[in-house]
Amino acid sequence: MLKSKLNLTTAIVLSTLLSGAALADQAYGPFPVTVKGYEGDKTNSVSYSGQIARHVLHDSLKKAAGKGDGGHNAAEVEALMLAYFNGSDEDLAIIAPASKDGFPVKQATVNEISKGKNISGKFYNGAMTAWPGNKSGVDVALQMINLAAASNQGYDPVNGMDWGQLISKFTLGAMAYNQAVDNYLDEKLEAGTKPNDKPYKEGAHYTGKEHSWDEAFGYFGAAAHSVSLSPEQNYAVSKQKDLAAADANGDDVIDLKTEMVFGPAYYAAGADKGGNKNTQYMVTIFNAFRDGRALIASANGEALTDAQRAELKNYADIIETNWEKTLAEATFKYAGSVYKDIDKIKSGEDSDKALRNYVKHWGELKGFSMALQSGKNNLGAAAIDMNWLIGFGPAMPDGKMVSDIDAGGNFVRDREMTLDDYQVNMLKVQKLLIDTFGIESRANDATADLAALAEKLGTTESAESD
Amino acid sequence: MEILDHIGSVFADFSNPKKRVFFGYLLLTILIALVWLVAVRRASIRAALHEVFDRKVLFSASSLADYKIFVINRVFTMFISPLLVSQLAIATALYYALHDVDFLQRGLFAGTPKGVIIALFTATIFVVDDLTKYLMHRWMHRWPLLWAIHKVHHSAETMTPITVYRVHPLEGVLYGLRAAVAQGTVMASFLFFFGNAVDLHTVLGVNILSFVFHVTGSNLRHSHISIRYWRWLEHLLISPAQHQVHHSIAREHHDKNFGVAFAVWDWMFGSLHLSEQGRKLKFGLKASEAHPSRLLDIYFRPFGDMARYLRRRARRLHERLRPQAARNSAASGRDKPIPAVARTDPG
Repeated sequence: MLKSKLNLTTAIVLSTLLSGAALADQAYGPFPVTVKGYEGDKTNSVSYSGQIARHVLHDSLKKAAGKGDGGHNAAEVEALMLAYFNGSDEDLAIIAPASKDGFPVKQATVNEISKGKNISGKFYNGAMTAWPGNKSGVDVALQMINLAAASNQGYDPVNGMDWGQLISKFTLGAMAYNQAVDNYLDEKLEAGTKPNDKPYKEGAHYTGKEHSWDEAFGYFGAAAHSVSLSPEQNYAVSKQKDLAAADANGDDVIDLKTEMVFGPAYYAAGADKGGNKNTQYMVTIFNAFRDGRALIASANGEALTDAQRAELKNYADIIETNWEKTLAEATFKYAGSVYKDIDKIKSGEDSDKALRNYVKHWGELKGFSMALQSGKNNLGAAAIDMNWLIGFGPAMPDGKMVSDIDAGGNFVRDREMTLDDYQVNMLKVQKLLIDTFGIESRANDATADLAALAEKLGTTESAESD
Repeated sequence: MEILDHIGSVFADFSNPKKRVFFGYLLLTILIALVWLVAVRRASIRAALHEVFDRKVLFSASSLADYKIFVINRVFTMFISPLLVSQLAIATALYYALHDVDFLQRGLFAGTPKGVIIALFTATIFVVDDLTKYLMHRWMHRWPLLWAIHKVHHSAETMTPITVYRVHPLEGVLYGLRAAVAQGTVMASFLFFFGNAVDLHTVLGVNILSFVFHVTGSNLRHSHISIRYWRWLEHLLISPAQHQVHHSIAREHHDKNFGVAFAVWDWMFGSLHLSEQGRKLKFGLKASEAHPSRLLDIYFRPFGDMARYLRRRARRLHERLRPQAARNSAASGRDKPIPAVARTDPG
């Protein structure tokens, strides 16, 4: 009896391993059309072009944030930014990622990818206490856009703001992460919502569950073949520096819909590539998406059973946990950058450049910390601590930092904070992130040298006495 | 399998060059002892071997107790060590705190050549470790509460290298904390002022100075082989014979030679005692203080001793305060509140 049980277990384990191995390097799609009674000519049910359009809107919005000339063209720049944020009746040009030498891009306008898309309709709209003024997520973004348009190339050297970075990193969480984990991988997995035995909408060639899952994958922003690329390659694809790695179908032009790596996936690969190199966020998240999608396809257009949905929720859980960690890793990394930048500012060399880098990295730090707070989980006390440690602006060389914003959108700089104290805050932010999220990669770890020395000295337990 | 792993970890110290009982150091110890007996004491090889592996020492009741204590303490350490504060935790906290001191500049000496930084760090951590061990050890002898637990170590009547593990678990905890504070402080200060070039110079993964200490016979300190140094050297480094003096039952040897590697601390603080040629030493404690081999006595008597000491102190405090309180209440009548201390009644 025991022996036969063992044999059965072995068989199950082996087949799981083998099927896993078979899928290991497989791209996300194509997956067959399973909608019952579909009579069209489509053969691939995978579709997430709407999410790719939003990634492109986001990349372009970030670029547009740097177009201000210090106030003269504020109205014009704000209108441009709002077009990308709110969507437009006109076909918007893709500002980024645009074709460049050695990296031709297939699409030049947003409508070539998908029509009628915007960012604002898919943006976290709960309270955003990380930003002064008690605003909702969307209102914070709108205020940032307004201030960016009035700035000189997206830079505010007095308050320490880099608007492009702030808007971009916040959006990676407030749009992509929020939509994926708080919508498509959450309520859309329930039995009664977007069922698998019906098309997503009338006449669609994909089922409700298939498309919901695809949309979540689209927000992650990986290329369909990202799993077969190394972290370095995924990173280079996103930077438009590795055409060979990006061009999966070998047609010498990059199709943004399937061959490009966008923000969230780029930072997953970045965490794997840097730091301790002991994480596999990209592969873990990608495989959970792909295996989940294969599971839905295997239902062949029937409603998912409770067991299947439970399995799917398990994949969703893997995705959510690891995605959250990639945001925490990025926050950690930029806290380390800010820490190092303060050393450079204090050294007094090339002070304008040092301050510019400091403000840029702070924008990334702040943006990612806000992204972390835009998900499904309420981070509670960890968020309160993080927001206090990072503040509403970086500590500036005059020992002050932003403490509030008035009704007219003017910053108030009333909080005392020396650069030295702010460095300690950065160390504490890193510790908080380790304690709260258990992150492993830890790029730019400001206390890594201490840990390495402690390791070398050995444990102090039972230190010899005489 | 798991049990095998656990057994392996109990004896892991023998294969760890960071530990004094690493088998390589033990082999060298035997070699040093033999060479010394043959070359200096003019013993025959046969007699030297007989003396080094003296059955009356290795298998005495006291030594057998040492071996049992070794195993018990290793198991205890496995459970307790994860609960203790690590040098990393202390270093991190101190590193934060240093940032907060305005007049201290991080990386002040970062321009120092890397080789110098490494040499300085390696030497500093060894010296600070040694000094704090000296201080802690001194307090262990001078403070009755600490002596109650440290006398477990001194109850050994014969000594072998394993006697270094003959310590009460509470002493192990205290020494662990000492190491965490000492090393954590040095680590944080060095990284703060010298930057990330700070590193430890190691041989076999061990601080090179600890390595030198161990390969030159640190294990002989707990043995009956009384290797002496020249007088001048015994002012600088503690010889095995000097540490054996520390374990001697003779009255004039009490509270001498607390040092581990360096003798300068004892020299500076007046507790140095040079080794005495030809003097036969008796190790251990009086029967009224501790038993050399009864494990229950070894592990539990310290608690009784500490409790007795505390009761005695409390009684004395009580007696000293009572007349004072009585005087106060007599002088001022009922309205005046009785001082808070006087109200405590330890009895």
